[in-house]
Amino acid sequence: MDVGARHAVPVLTPVASRLVPYPEEFNMRIAHYLNQFFGGIGAEEHAGKGLEVRDSAVGPGRLLESLLGNDARIVLTLVCGDNYAVEHQEEITASVMAKVRQANVDLFVAGPCFDAGRYGMAAGALCRAVQAELSISAVTAMSEENPGVDLYRDALYIIDSGTTIANMRNVLDKMARLSRKLVTKEPIGLPHEEGYLRRGWLRDQLVEKKAATRLVDMLLAKMNGEPFDSEMPPTAFAPIPMPAGVKNLSRAKVMLITDGGLVPRGNPDKIEGTAATRWGSYSIEGRDDLRAEDYEVSHGGYDTRFVQEDPDRLVPLDALREMEKNGVIGKLHNEFISTCGRSNPLSNTRRLGREMAEKIKRDGVDAVILTST
Amino acid sequence: MQLSLAHHPISEIQFGVPARLEGAVLIVDPATLRRMILEDESIVSVDFDIARPGERCRAGPIFDVIEPRAKAPGCGADFPGILGAPITAGIGTTHVLTGAAVSVLAEISPDPTRSATGRVLEMSGAPVEASEYSSLQHLIVIPHTKPGLPRQTLEKAYRLAGIRVAVELARSAWNHLPVDLQTFEPVGPGEKGRDGLARVAYVGQIFSRQRKPAVDEPILYGANTDGMLPVMLHPDEWLDGAVVPSLHSWFGGTETYFYQNHPIILELYQRHHAREINFVGTVATIAGSDNFDRERHCRAAANLVKWNLNADGVVLSKYGGGLPHADLAETARLLEGMGIKTSVMVSDVSRDRRVESALLFNVPEVDAIVYNGGNGKQWQVPRVDRVIAATPEFVELLTGPMTIEASNIVGVTNQQGASRMRAMVY
Amino acid sequence: MVQITSALPIAKMVGANRVVLGTGIVHVTGDAKLPPADEKELRRKLVQKALDALQSNEKG
Repeated sequence: MDVGARHAVPVLTPVASRLVPYPEEFNMRIAHYLNQFFGGIGAEEHAGKGLEVRDSAVGPGRLLESLLGNDARIVLTLVCGDNYAVEHQEEITASVMAKVRQANVDLFVAGPCFDAGRYGMAAGALCRAVQAELSISAVTAMSEENPGVDLYRDALYIIDSGTTIANMRNVLDKMARLSRKLVTKEPIGLPHEEGYLRRGWLRDQLVEKKAATRLVDMLLAKMNGEPFDSEMPPTAFAPIPMPAGVKNLSRAKVMLITDGGLVPRGNPDKIEGTAATRWGSYSIEGRDDLRAEDYEVSHGGYDTRFVQEDPDRLVPLDALREMEKNGVIGKLHNEFISTCGRSNPLSNTRRLGREMAEKIKRDGVDAVILTST
Repeated sequence: MQLSLAHHPISEIQFGVPARLEGAVLIVDPATLRRMILEDESIVSVDFDIARPGERCRAGPIFDVIEPRAKAPGCGADFPGILGAPITAGIGTTHVLTGAAVSVLAEISPDPTRSATGRVLEMSGAPVEASEYSSLQHLIVIPHTKPGLPRQTLEKAYRLAGIRVAVELARSAWNHLPVDLQTFEPVGPGEKGRDGLARVAYVGQIFSRQRKPAVDEPILYGANTDGMLPVMLHPDEWLDGAVVPSLHSWFGGTETYFYQNHPIILELYQRHHAREINFVGTVATIAGSDNFDRERHCRAAANLVKWNLNADGVVLSKYGGGLPHADLAETARLLEGMGIKTSVMVSDVSRDRRVESALLFNVPEVDAIVYNGGNGKQWQVPRVDRVIAATPEFVELLTGPMTIEASNIVGVTNQQGASRMRAMVY
Repeated sequence: MVQITSALPIAKMVGANRVVLGTGIVHVTGDAKLPPADEKELRRKLVQKALDALQSNEKG
C-alpha cells in the first residue's frame, strides 16, 4: 500500500485494503490492460512475462476508476509483459478477448502507454479487436510518436498522452471523460475538444460562418502573421521506390492499362463511372486498332466523345502494335486492363492496383504503360 | 463602377393578371411568361409553379437558381452578351427582388452516374438550415423541350428561359421605390486613400476544361471561353450578370444566384467598406485542358495579380470537379512564390471520408485551405405533399421518403463560397 | 510502369516515378484537332516517349 514513499515500480494493492466497499450494482464495468511496469510486476527485465489477470483495479487503474465515477468499477485487469505481448500478439489477443467476453464489461481501457512503443502496439491491437469483435467501447492513450498511433489511429480513440508520465492524472481524466461519452453513446467532439489524436477521418458539420467568410478570415490572419487553422492538413504519400529501367525493350512484354474507363460495349464487368470498385482485363488479340463500335466509356468525369470516336486516343493500341511489328518492343500483351479513376478513394484504388499488379506478374508482363485522364 | 442595387423584398409570389409588384407581393402572369419562353423553338411547352419556405414540397432536378433582377431603363443590358449586346455589366441601377428566386428544372439528371435525381430544392425539414435557397420564395419554371434534341441544346434552352423569366419578373419593380438602395465603395488597383491597407484580390475559376464548351455556350459576356486566357474583371461585373455557370457541369455547386450574390466578392466588399482591406480587383480564370493549358492559365492569372493588381494577398476559388484543384493549387503556389499570400477554397473530393483522400494537391506553401464538405452527409427526407418535376418519372423518384446526399440538395454544397457545410477532421 | 497523363501535378503528388505528358484530359494519346494522319504520328511519338521513359533510370 502506498504510504507516500516513492517506489521505482508501482506496488500492487490487494483488494482487501480498499476502505470504501463497492456497491453491488455498477453502471459501468471496465476491463483494463496494463504492461508489466504499470501493472506492478516489474520493469524492463520483466517484459517477457505472459498474461496475468486480476479482478480489480491495479496501479493507474485505481485513479482511473475513481475518475470514472462512483458507479464505475474495473472488474478485470490484464497485465502482460511488453515483449511477450508483441511476440505473441495473436495468442494474447485471443486470451484477452476470451476473458473480456467472460467479464461482461461495458468498456475496455488500455494504457496509458505514453511513448512506450511495444506497449502502444499491444494496446492498439487489443482495443481494436475488442471494439470490432465484441462491440465494446475501447479507449487508449499514447504520445503522437508512438508507433501504435499510426497503426490504429483510424480505428480507435487514442487520447494524446504526451510523453511525460508525470501527467498521468491529466491523461486519465481525459480518458475517463471520453470513456463515459462512448459508453453512454453521447456524441464525441473534435480532437482538440476531447483530447484525442486526430484519427484521419472527415465528418461533415454545418458551421456558423459560410465558406467565403472563413476564406477571407484565413487570408487576413495569414497576411497579418497570426496563427490560423487550415481546414485540411497536407496529404503525405510515402515515396514509391523506382523500379529499374527495362534493359531490353525489344524483348519485353508490354501491357496497356487505363483509368479512363474504356470498356467493351455493354460494360460486361459493370465497371462504375464513379468510385469504381472493379476492373477488367480485355482481349486485344489480333487487333491492330481499337474500333469505336466495340467499346464504350464508363467515366463520369470528362467529355468522353473523343475517346468514343477513336478509343486509341485513350488506349494507344495502334501505335504499340506497330512498335511490336517493328521489333521496338518484344510483345504487346494480348489484354489491356481498364478501370475508372473518377472520384475514386484510395481505399478502393489501393486494392484495385494490388489486384492488377498480381495479374500483371502472373501474366509475365515486363512493363506497363498506364494512360490516365 | 457605380453599381446600385435597388432592393425590393418579396414575401410572397402569386399567380394573377396583370403581372405586377404590390408591396412585397409579386404577382406573376404565367401567360406572358409562357409567350416569352416559347419564342425559343426548342421548347414546346412550359409549366410554372410556386414553392414557399416551409412547404412540404420538393422540386428537381434543378438546372439553375437565378435571382430576379433587371437593369433600370437606360442603365445597361441584362445578362449582356446573352440577352443583349455585351456592354459592361456593373454600372447603374439594377432592381432586385430580394427574397425571391427563379428556379429552372431540367428534364434530365446532370450526371446519372452520380445521382438519378440530380440536384433537389428542399423547402422543409432538416436540410433547410443548410441551404439559403430554402428560405426564398421560388417561381419554378418547368420547360418541356422538343424530343431528340442534343443535350447542350436543352441546357441552353433552360439557361435562356431562366434568365429571361428572372429579368421579366424584376421589371415589375421598375416604377417602385426600393426599400433599400445598396451601393459599393470604389474598388480598383489605383484607388486612392487606402494607403497602409492590405491589398487583396480574388481569383475565381469560371469554367473547367474537363469538357469542351459548346460553340454557342454563354459563360462570360455570352462568350464560351474556349481558347480564352484569364481576364481581369471588376467585382461588379460578376455581381451584375457578366458571368453565368457553364451549361453542363457534372459537379454542380455553382448557380447564377451566387454569382449575382457572390459570397466571396460581397465578403471582400464588406471588409473593404470597413477599411480592413483594400480590395483591388478580381481575375476570372479557367482550369486547363492539359498540362500546358494549366501552366499557361496559372501563370497568366498570377501575373495579372502581381503586375496589374499589385495585390499582397489573394483568395482563390475553383469550378468543376477534381482536376481543377491542380490549377487552384498551382496558381496559389506561383503567387506565394511572388511573395503574395493566398488562401484557397476546395471542394470535397474525399469519397471514403479519409483525410488522406481529401486533397488533390500537396504544396507546402498552399497551407490556408477552406474545405467545403458534404460527401459524407445525407438526410433522411420524408414523403412530401407536392413534388414539382418535369416528368412523372422524376415525380416518382422525388416523392420520398428517401435518403438524399448533401451534395444533391441545391445550395448545401457550393463552390462560390455560400456553403456552411464543412468537413471537420477528427 | 510509365504513366501518360495531363494531370501531372497529381501524378507527381502520389509518387509516380515515370510520367509522360499526355495531350489533354479528353484525348490523352490523341488530338481531335489534328487530321487523322497527324494524330497517329502524334500518338506514335507520345508512345515512343513513354517507352523511352521505361528504359531510362532517371526519375521524371
